[in-house]
Amino acid sequence: MNLLILYLLLVKATLTSFSGLASLPMVRNDFVVRRHALTDRQLSTAVAAGRIGPGPNGIYVVGIGYLVAGAPGACAGWLAMITPAFLIIPMLRFLGARAEHRRARSVARAVLVAGAGLMASAAMPLARDAITGPLSFAIVAASFILMAVTRVDSLWVMLGAAVVGILSLQF
Amino acid sequence: MAQPRLSAVTRLFTRVGVTVFGGGDPTIAILQREFYKRDWLSPEKFGIAFGLARLTPGTNVLAFCAATGWYVRGLPGALAAVLAITIPASVLVVWLTRAYDLTTRDPLAQSIANALVAAAVGTMLGAALLLVRTQCSRRQWLRPITIAVGAFVLAYFIKLSPLQVIGAAAIVGFLWAEA
Repeated sequence: MNLLILYLLLVKATLTSFSGLASLPMVRNDFVVRRHALTDRQLSTAVAAGRIGPGPNGIYVVGIGYLVAGAPGACAGWLAMITPAFLIIPMLRFLGARAEHRRARSVARAVLVAGAGLMASAAMPLARDAITGPLSFAIVAASFILMAVTRVDSLWVMLGAAVVGILSLQF
Repeated sequence: MAQPRLSAVTRLFTRVGVTVFGGGDPTIAILQREFYKRDWLSPEKFGIAFGLARLTPGTNVLAFCAATGWYVRGLPGALAAVLAITIPASVLVVWLTRAYDLTTRDPLAQSIANALVAAAVGTMLGAALLLVRTQCSRRQWLRPITIAVGAFVLAYFIKLSPLQVIGAAAIVGFLWAEA
């Protein structure tokens, strides 16, 4: 498949969705149903690889690009993933000094703390998957305390969890 | 607010991009804490970036990174943030797509991935608590706690979408002015 067409199809899917995996139905329709460029199994592989790796769930489009057209396809997928992100800059420019208004600050702070509620809510389904026994519960508890109470760098929390994951197989 | 060097912005976003598992929400949670620790971004700007990112098409967390990068270092900051958070993770996702069958059957890879998702859960809950705590003072604690708990109830129990919750919070924020 032509790289430009690959990019345009993927950017159409990312531009018309508002969260990582919401672009999936359109990607499936374009690549699996209409163009037969991918099988359903390949699509699931890219989605699963996107979920088990680091980064946002929407990163699966890079895997789609790779499966369709190799490394150049992965680059087209990456470009399609990041293109919509920059649309936020004109919005920020438009807000500009208006954001300094007292009411606007009050709204921004309300949205900020609502973000805490949303984060906690998003953690719940992940917690159901992640907590499989006392050890994973201990990792959740330890990372919670380290993040909320101390100033320890998040890198060490993640590396520590990875080391616990390795050690748990040895004992 | 401290203005960081572009290299420091790139370093932070690269690190978060390769070490945070579990999708966009834990990534935002960790970035929030790291910005707060470094004094890079005011709570108001974080709130604007967070709210507008939900209104931006595509992957919300990338719009959030573009916005925060733009706030701290202008357009080069936005580019550095988005590139740094996506390039190493994209290389990894290509590798994982190739080696998918191998990695899903390898118990060591599975064990590490499970531990990292557990850490992401604790991180998100910790960052949520920290976020509310930084907004509370002796004079003002009822408003942030009510809005945060209300957002949790609307999202988790009433199953409103994040965009609807943010819309509701914006209306409450407009009508219920800060003390």
